[in-house]
Amino acid sequence: MTAHAQAYLDPGTPEEQSRRQFLANATLAIGGVIGLVVAVPCVAALIPESLVKPNAAGGPVWAPLTPAELSSLRSGTDTPVKIDINFKYQDGYLPPSDAERLVWGVKLTPEQVATFQKKRPDLFKPTAKVDYPAITLNFVLFSSICPHLGCKFDWVSGAKRFICPCHGSQFDVVGAKLAGPAPRGLDPLPFREQDGKAEVTWIQYKSQTPDRIIVAYT
Amino acid sequence: MSFLVTWLDQRTGLPTQIKTFLTEDVPGGASYWYVFGSATLFAMILQYVTGIFLTFYYSPSSATAWESTKYINEHVPLGWFVLSLHYWGATAMIALLLMHLLQVLIWGSYKAPREIMWVIGILMLVFTLVLGLTGYLLPWDMNAYFASQVAINIASSVPIVGGPTQQLLSGGAGMGTLTINRFHGLHVWAMPALLALLVTWHLVVFRHNGSAGPPVDTDLKKLPQGRFWPNQMFMDALASFLVFIVMVVLAAVAPPPLDVKADPTQTFIAYPAWYFLALYGLLRIAGGLPDSVIPIANLMATVIIPGGFVTLLILLPWIDRNPSRALRRRPWILGLTAISVVVAVGLSVFSQLAIVREQQEAGQAKPAAIASAPADAGRALQSGAKVYAANCAACHGADGQGKPGTFPPLAGNADITGDPSKVVQIVLDGLNNMPMTVSGANYKGVMPAWKGTLTNSDVANVVSYIRSSWGNEATPVAPADVAKVKK
Repeated sequence: MTAHAQAYLDPGTPEEQSRRQFLANATLAIGGVIGLVVAVPCVAALIPESLVKPNAAGGPVWAPLTPAELSSLRSGTDTPVKIDINFKYQDGYLPPSDAERLVWGVKLTPEQVATFQKKRPDLFKPTAKVDYPAITLNFVLFSSICPHLGCKFDWVSGAKRFICPCHGSQFDVVGAKLAGPAPRGLDPLPFREQDGKAEVTWIQYKSQTPDRIIVAYT
Repeated sequence: MSFLVTWLDQRTGLPTQIKTFLTEDVPGGASYWYVFGSATLFAMILQYVTGIFLTFYYSPSSATAWESTKYINEHVPLGWFVLSLHYWGATAMIALLLMHLLQVLIWGSYKAPREIMWVIGILMLVFTLVLGLTGYLLPWDMNAYFASQVAINIASSVPIVGGPTQQLLSGGAGMGTLTINRFHGLHVWAMPALLALLVTWHLVVFRHNGSAGPPVDTDLKKLPQGRFWPNQMFMDALASFLVFIVMVVLAAVAPPPLDVKADPTQTFIAYPAWYFLALYGLLRIAGGLPDSVIPIANLMATVIIPGGFVTLLILLPWIDRNPSRALRRRPWILGLTAISVVVAVGLSVFSQLAIVREQQEAGQAKPAAIASAPADAGRALQSGAKVYAANCAACHGADGQGKPGTFPPLAGNADITGDPSKVVQIVLDGLNNMPMTVSGANYKGVMPAWKGTLTNSDVANVVSYIRSSWGNEATPVAPADVAKVKK
């Protein structure tokens, strides 16, 4: 013991020693309680809203197609139409803004409508959580994001199929997977028409899974 | 366990250092009079911790400061509580700091050989007040803006250097986004770093000098010695714990209100933080004097008296030539201390009353009542969000977008951000075939009445919520306003 710490030279009576032990334990206990009470809200505050409420956006956000876009969709033949849609989008505390997303619109022929369920059984599974008719009014709209690793794929008219430039996944005109590492076919987007106005919802799906899982509506 | 301690000690020496730090004498025995220093340190550490978690969300710009603060209150799990702890922690830290100063002053512990500790302490007081000032601006609501405007105006009224000082503080000719950045840099980085250095120095010098002990003139070594660990530390921990309990209770029941976003075009009578009320009081008195005297009176109130006071404090160990520490032998210093405390408290009370009176005359809600409509903006909006999700979102959409042609949007809807009593009326009584046009689209105007289902409080909260969500920025509504509409 250092010489200047006079108080520590005399160990004191057993009562004094046990009292000191109690004070030491109590001090540490107080520290522990304070630490815990502070740690709980601080750690809770770290959790992003998207973990607490998966649909922080509250659900599907419908964005309208312009009349020009709708008519280009309607007049499409067997070539898919690329549509640029502005979706309302809220990033954190920033004011709502428009996020531009690319959407592929495919007009289905009567035969394609008839065979659609057979060609894309994955869209008709009872466990499919997306609440939309897979084909509406003979249109199906696909997300432009490849379900493999998130690249934007393109329609190659020569090959008459969607081909992703990143790792070579290929899909036919109704989005069924033909080749490549993608775990599933193209992801559809809910589409509806009301009073002559057409609307689509953007959905971000989880990549690399064979099942279709919604991550967010933004 | 002791093996680990030995291992660490051989390689770093840290356990021995901690043990040396803890096993110190307290001349005259451990005492509850000595807890204020460590309690201040405790409050400071709490500010650092809660502050760090706030920086994960706060964004310092005029476009995002208020919005991100609102986000913390409404969207971050227990974010409102972390912010509330930080707000009340600031009050606690400054209150404990002042009590620590008073205790050291009365005990005469600033005398030789502890003069440098005292000077470091006064510097830390100044830096802590800077922290309080800069933090106050960051939410960028009406009160934050106008209170900081007052503070910057005070600085700018200093002769010769006033103009450049005002520009330096504001980051420009007037207050704006650059001001927020500047204050944020000071509040989050510069001041905390400097303060941490000074606290460390203060503690190191404290160990070098040893505890000052009781206010007596006997040789400290001849007094019975108490143990720092665990006796004094237990008292320190208990005092900090009591402070903590009070802080947690206050933080839980009285979170700081977030006014509407700063609007420089409005008039708003701000209330400064309580620790600046005395300074503000001096200014009000100066402003109330005859015109011919005002320039010199302002100079007195802004520079000479506060500056002189701080200078006197810093030089106190050398001004006070009395070598005695005994209370009965130091009537002058004790008398001056008592007078200073009475004057400071008196000025503060005078200031607060004057501000409240001015706000009432301007028809502005009282400081406490800005929060009372609703009682605390954060939690009332949370409740409003819940009411909305349960009752309104089905038609108007979780994001206030409505259904085109069927249910009007609430986002960007001028009727929603307009006259609040109209909005309350619609929520209470519904709409029965009242064709309307919103944002260029026509609606049939059929909506159920909610007055049977929702309480006044629910209606107030949900109306406040829709008036401040999805880009809407309008004033909140109080349950009293709903009751008025019902009549």
